[in-house]
Amino acid sequence: MSIETKSASVIIVGGGIVACATAYNLAKRGMNDVIVLEKAEIGNGGSCRNAGGVRQSARDVRELPLAMYAVGKIWPTLSDELGCDVEYVQKGNLRLGLTEAHRKTLEAHVAKSTRVGLEVEMIEGDDARAICPAMSEEVLCASWCPTDGHANPLKTTLAFYQRALQMGVTFVTGVTVTGLRKVRGRVRYVDTDDGTYEADQVLLCAGYESQGIAETVGVEIPVVPRRNEVLVTEMCPHLFDVMIGVAGGEFYGGQTEHGSFVMGGNNGLEAFCSEHHDRFSTDSITAPSIARGILKYFPALEGVKIIRTWAGYYDACADVVPVIDAIPEAPGLVCAFGFSGHGFGIAPATGLALSEILLDGASHTIDVSALTYDRFAAKG
Amino acid sequence: MMRHDLIVIGAGPAGLSAAIEAARLGMDVAVFDENARPGGQLFKQIHKFFGSKEHHAKERGFRIGEDLLADAEKLGVAVHLNATVMGIYEGREVLVKHEDETVHAKADAIIIATGAAENMIPFTGWDKPGVIGAGAAQALMNLQGVMPGKRILMVGSGNVGLVVSFQLLQAGCEVAAVIDAAPRIGGYGVHAAKVARTGVPFYTRHTVVEALGKDRVEGAVIAEVDDHFQPIPGTEKTLDVDTICIAVGLSPMSQLADTAGCDLVLDRKRGGTVPVIDEYGETSVPNVYCAGDAAGIEEASTAMILGRISAIRAAEKAGFLGAAEFTARADEYAASLSKLRRGMFAPQNKGRTDMTETDEGYPLSKSLLAHGFLEPNEVSAFPCATVHEVGVHPVIECTQNIPCNPCQDACRFGCITVGDDIVKLPVIDETKRCTGCGMCVASCSGQAIFLVDEAYEPGYASVGIPYEFVPVPKAGARGHALNRAGAPICDAEVVSVKYTKAMDKTVLLTMKVPAEFASEARFYRD
Amino acid sequence: MAKIIRRAPETAFVPQPDDDLIICRCEEVTKGDIRRVVHAGLSTTNEVKRWLRCGMGLCQGQTCQRNFQGIIARELGVSPADIGRITGRSPVRPATITTFAHEVTEQKEA
Repeated sequence: MSIETKSASVIIVGGGIVACATAYNLAKRGMNDVIVLEKAEIGNGGSCRNAGGVRQSARDVRELPLAMYAVGKIWPTLSDELGCDVEYVQKGNLRLGLTEAHRKTLEAHVAKSTRVGLEVEMIEGDDARAICPAMSEEVLCASWCPTDGHANPLKTTLAFYQRALQMGVTFVTGVTVTGLRKVRGRVRYVDTDDGTYEADQVLLCAGYESQGIAETVGVEIPVVPRRNEVLVTEMCPHLFDVMIGVAGGEFYGGQTEHGSFVMGGNNGLEAFCSEHHDRFSTDSITAPSIARGILKYFPALEGVKIIRTWAGYYDACADVVPVIDAIPEAPGLVCAFGFSGHGFGIAPATGLALSEILLDGASHTIDVSALTYDRFAAKG
Repeated sequence: MMRHDLIVIGAGPAGLSAAIEAARLGMDVAVFDENARPGGQLFKQIHKFFGSKEHHAKERGFRIGEDLLADAEKLGVAVHLNATVMGIYEGREVLVKHEDETVHAKADAIIIATGAAENMIPFTGWDKPGVIGAGAAQALMNLQGVMPGKRILMVGSGNVGLVVSFQLLQAGCEVAAVIDAAPRIGGYGVHAAKVARTGVPFYTRHTVVEALGKDRVEGAVIAEVDDHFQPIPGTEKTLDVDTICIAVGLSPMSQLADTAGCDLVLDRKRGGTVPVIDEYGETSVPNVYCAGDAAGIEEASTAMILGRISAIRAAEKAGFLGAAEFTARADEYAASLSKLRRGMFAPQNKGRTDMTETDEGYPLSKSLLAHGFLEPNEVSAFPCATVHEVGVHPVIECTQNIPCNPCQDACRFGCITVGDDIVKLPVIDETKRCTGCGMCVASCSGQAIFLVDEAYEPGYASVGIPYEFVPVPKAGARGHALNRAGAPICDAEVVSVKYTKAMDKTVLLTMKVPAEFASEARFYRD
Repeated sequence: MAKIIRRAPETAFVPQPDDDLIICRCEEVTKGDIRRVVHAGLSTTNEVKRWLRCGMGLCQGQTCQRNFQGIIARELGVSPADIGRITGRSPVRPATITTFAHEVTEQKEA
């Protein structure tokens, strides 16, 4: 393929982990006539701004097949497969509760997940402290999923990218997609500030910016940007391996292999505040809120220094799971967005499913049939 | 929420000047500074500043800091110390780390005056103890009273490298060499000259290639570089030093402007990544300003004016200053700025290598640019450096156009004139009688004025030099006179040591030398 | 940064004598590490940072960014202005979790 060509069998709009994992899976199947169009740089959105959770527990059952496949079949060998240590650690996920109300919430999740075959259980505070000794005495109970874990999202995203690049996929960064256009009823043109690109199929996986592009061909999926912030601390001696979530929603995160704690959260007022998506600005109240959350559960971290905070926008979908679907109303278009803040852990599986949708017309390895684009309906 | 009319971040020259100006206009101003003491870099600066009289020239930096603080205090400006602004947020809000708390504060305007950070260059062993920034060395000496090392290699010959080299010598360290990868010395010739005349060698077109030593610096390898700044094999020299000082420039600290969402641009002339600003220092975020080194590396003298300009703009926008008065002040400050931003070291001339003569048309000294001292034949091109009137008289070895004029006010007999254009070289009026009082010698921030009497005694001349080392030799002491290159050239006897309070720590040391050395002897050593 | 970059496939990496030079002291990243990943396809300051951690340490790039940007730009044959930069983020100086947790919104008595 010539270096300047603007047409390909598949154009992927967005350069995050879903794009890179799909490009990699396509190339692995021999399809490298692919152009990835990214507005900023590789992994600039949620892919490199999340806390790295690889979790099955407390997931909506509709996306659980993706999570279970990723954890069961992909993550354990992903470092070898990509030729790079993506720092995957499978030491479990504790989701902590401080109150009886939290216990009820956690129990409901455990019940739903167990029904579809996930190994997850309720444990008492002392059991949780046995797993993660640094924890506060205030912790009353927890859900425990020993097969959950975490990985380095920066490395994972960029490893998929580098492998896909080596296998012949074309990546263009710094190019903004302004819209899609149809030819004879099929989505074919991708308009950009670098001219028009052309493809047999278009995969739209540009996070919260996807919906604005989808609507140029009349596809409406209820997704809006929602901000989360993450903080990272200085390097510390090893304290725990488990990934932490809390039923109260104050924060989530864990300790990386490198030694820093990476912990995220939100302030609860984001939906009603003015936003500047392009510069991913943090606000003055979220990091303090996350910090208070951390101290509630891990008072031992009081003296640890925060060295950076950042913000990211996830693509919040109305029913909190993504759309992963070919769009029959706009033939040639495949959508994969609305991951709602938990897309990283399933991304390796999402990439596989999307490669099958693009090459075979359907995802046959993993069941994504609950993630269709037309599942939304007005109330009443 | 704490609210102010104006928040100033950084209590250095730009920040304090801005706060003073705004407070005078009636604004409620809060200044936050991360350091334990205010003044920014000023309190490390023990040398006399350049500039014009109305901009604190010939005052030592730390005194300027004291003056600014006194003014701020008089006006009731709240200067919060140990108060680190961690970020600037929407709605002109700041988060300030103070003790173990995070303080929220808001203002109608914010002036970012956070200054600059030292650049580092990587070379083999640069991460060893003993490799330090020149600014850090200065802080050790002048704030903590600690010698950074015994034998020093100074890497970088900009004003910071030159000023700190001199201060290292004053502190009793040896400076083994000053090197620069560029083909010419970057700082003022007068700063270089006062270092060179003590015997410190300058190596232009040289870089440091390795810090030797096991656990700390025990030596340095330097080498000549080619036109692409790559070391030329075979040109290596090993210097016996225990400390390598890095003075390879400063980078504006633009991180806070970044947190505020200001548009930033990489501008090498301004020293790195800086906010895009208008003529008043206002960034792309309305009512957020950036002044001083944080907006572009310059001198403290310009930083103080830039701080004032941002302050009057903020005051005008907030209704504390009428439009007419604002315009008048803005014009006045702009005029002051343009006076200072002239000459071969002005920001617009940064990096220029095509200048061959002064504004007056005298050939620039090539030796001064390459070696740090004037060659005798080059001195002769400058009238102010070659006066031969009878009796004691000033000889001013000021050969580059830099913005400075205290010498013209120092002589109460009107012997020295610089004129309105303060980058012009001084002109000596030989018809005015010199009394040898030494005030011009002490007033010259560049230590470039000497008092010479070619016929002091039969066969002997006297040469009065500015002297800022301790112990000060006593009258009657005998030693050697050094030439501009720092080489001993003849025996010398100290015939007088003159000091008054007005000379502000610069001693006029007069030595007697054989008459033929009158125009060469420029330093004294026991 | 909005420069359009079409990522080149991997080009041959030619070792240089000073590849073992430490560029980022906080995270101990060498010149060779940086040059190698540029040849593997990483093309911006942030991509290199995210892969190697240079500029992610306590100094947040204050010391090393200028130098490692220069290395990336030279390898790519572009200007440092074209490869983006590390975004300045709060806290611009490290602060403890406790400090962040204790917010003060009212003026305290002096």
